[in-house]
Amino acid sequence: MRRLLAGLAAGTFLLATAACGSSGDSGTSGKAASSGGTTTVKLGLIPIVDVAPVYLGVKKGFYAEHGLKLSLTTAQGGAAIVPGVVSGQFQFGFSNVTSLMIAQSNNVPVKAIANGIASTGVQGKDFGAITVKKGSPLKSAKDLEGKKVAINTLKNINETAVRESVRKAGGDPDKVKFVELAFDQMPAALDSGQIDAAMVVEPALATVKSQGGVEIASPLVDVAPNLTVAMYFTSTQYAQQNPEVVKKFQEATAESLAYADSHPDEVRDVVTTYTKIPASVLAQVTLPKWPAAADRASIEALEKLGQQDGLFKTAPDLDKLLP
Amino acid sequence: MKGLNALLGAAGLAVLLALGEAVPRLGLVKAAYFPPTSRIAGAFVDELTDGAFWSALGDTLTGWALGLGTAVGAGIVVGVVVSVVPHLREATASTIEFLRPIPSVALIPLAVLLYGTELRSVLLLVVYASFWQVLIQVLYGVQDVDPVAEETARSYGLGTWARIRHVLWPTALPYVITGVRLAAAVALILAITAELVIGAPGLGARIAVAQTSQAVPEMYALIVVTGLLGLLINVGARAAERRALAWHQSVRGEVTV
Repeated sequence: MRRLLAGLAAGTFLLATAACGSSGDSGTSGKAASSGGTTTVKLGLIPIVDVAPVYLGVKKGFYAEHGLKLSLTTAQGGAAIVPGVVSGQFQFGFSNVTSLMIAQSNNVPVKAIANGIASTGVQGKDFGAITVKKGSPLKSAKDLEGKKVAINTLKNINETAVRESVRKAGGDPDKVKFVELAFDQMPAALDSGQIDAAMVVEPALATVKSQGGVEIASPLVDVAPNLTVAMYFTSTQYAQQNPEVVKKFQEATAESLAYADSHPDEVRDVVTTYTKIPASVLAQVTLPKWPAAADRASIEALEKLGQQDGLFKTAPDLDKLLP
Repeated sequence: MKGLNALLGAAGLAVLLALGEAVPRLGLVKAAYFPPTSRIAGAFVDELTDGAFWSALGDTLTGWALGLGTAVGAGIVVGVVVSVVPHLREATASTIEFLRPIPSVALIPLAVLLYGTELRSVLLLVVYASFWQVLIQVLYGVQDVDPVAEETARSYGLGTWARIRHVLWPTALPYVITGVRLAAAVALILAITAELVIGAPGLGARIAVAQTSQAVPEMYALIVVTGLLGLLINVGARAAERRALAWHQSVRGEVTV
């Protein structure tokens, strides 16, 4: 009897701690833990090629030199990262620029602080492309009218980009049928004919190409010559309260980006430490560009297109959003 | 009889594995998207030699065990209290029936907002899903108490605690154990789902990484691991059931026949 009671008591205690755990933490999570001149900060990431510079920066000690200890936490998709940063679970996060603009236009307090990735800016040689199956009659983005095109998220950066490609090719983007599909499922869906075209990024792009798929447009290049696709961000509250930490993060990240951009072989090495991309695929992957600073003109172009396509409730304020 | 069953089970598994090998080799599906059994087995062996795999397995099992323990403890306490306190059952019935069908997965945004991508967000989902399995069984189990036994105990002057211990608990135990067995499976499913969707460390997150990395055989190898885990948990739960209910008709019956 006593044992049973003790067990039950322990059970309820566990439930109570599980339920109340947040209240004890939320007060402190906004502040970074600091010890002996090093500040520990959490960075929420998606485990993809794009974030390789940060892994490389940690490995090379760029963050440590600036007194930062980065704790890298992976999440599945930006949907888990933005709330995590705003609620203080992470101090910094990684997100595409359109998502950040949508968040800001919905009054979510986010602040972009460092560049993430940019398109290569070269038609036909970007890390993302509209692809069709081998032997498909579709030859250009204009031919997508009335066709089923897969994108990873509706009403986000890739929809804006594909619509711009169709527009530039002289087609009507409203006639394209967009369907939502995860990048990794696109090669199989394209191959079996469930979709007519796919806006796919690496490493799935390499898989598509290895099966004979053909690129018909480079939408991220069509939006702007050197489009800033994604950035690192924090919450406005954290940026106001910890300007020094943010500054250190910016400096170390800029160094890491520059290093990654000039050392592609080390990038391919470090990618194998946090993804499972097979070596044969990785060798074929087109790496993005990692300029040290974001390209404001390209983000303005992206904003204009987003406005045109009705992505934002109110116009995002780039002066407030960008560093 | 037992030997024959084991033989049939092994034969069924062998046929499944052979089908898995044959279907992609015959070109019925593309080997790139559904690799043959042998390639999955190769990736499986690679996984077993990787330290990161074992720590992911540990993370998943931690989430599973903590979540299940919490749910079972809470389910039993709440179930007994709700049944024993007069009118409480009637007062809570509609609330329970309202909360119970809410899929745990629908709580993912809430879990992320509260706990980020850590173990606690996994626990929230696991506990929510498995708690109801236990609670409902406890409620049914308590209802099953023989009124004559209850009255007899009462007339012999047994107090509330003694009646819970000697009348209510033995009657409810078979139900509770069934609830725990169901909850054990549900807890595993939810632990892996949470890791897969949120990205909390564990087997689920590893599956997601393999998926986005276009590492198809590795992804299937990890899915096989989750299946094996489910199998082990079920076998373990059945063994525990037989031990705990050795005195019960249902278990005794199995042995003598």
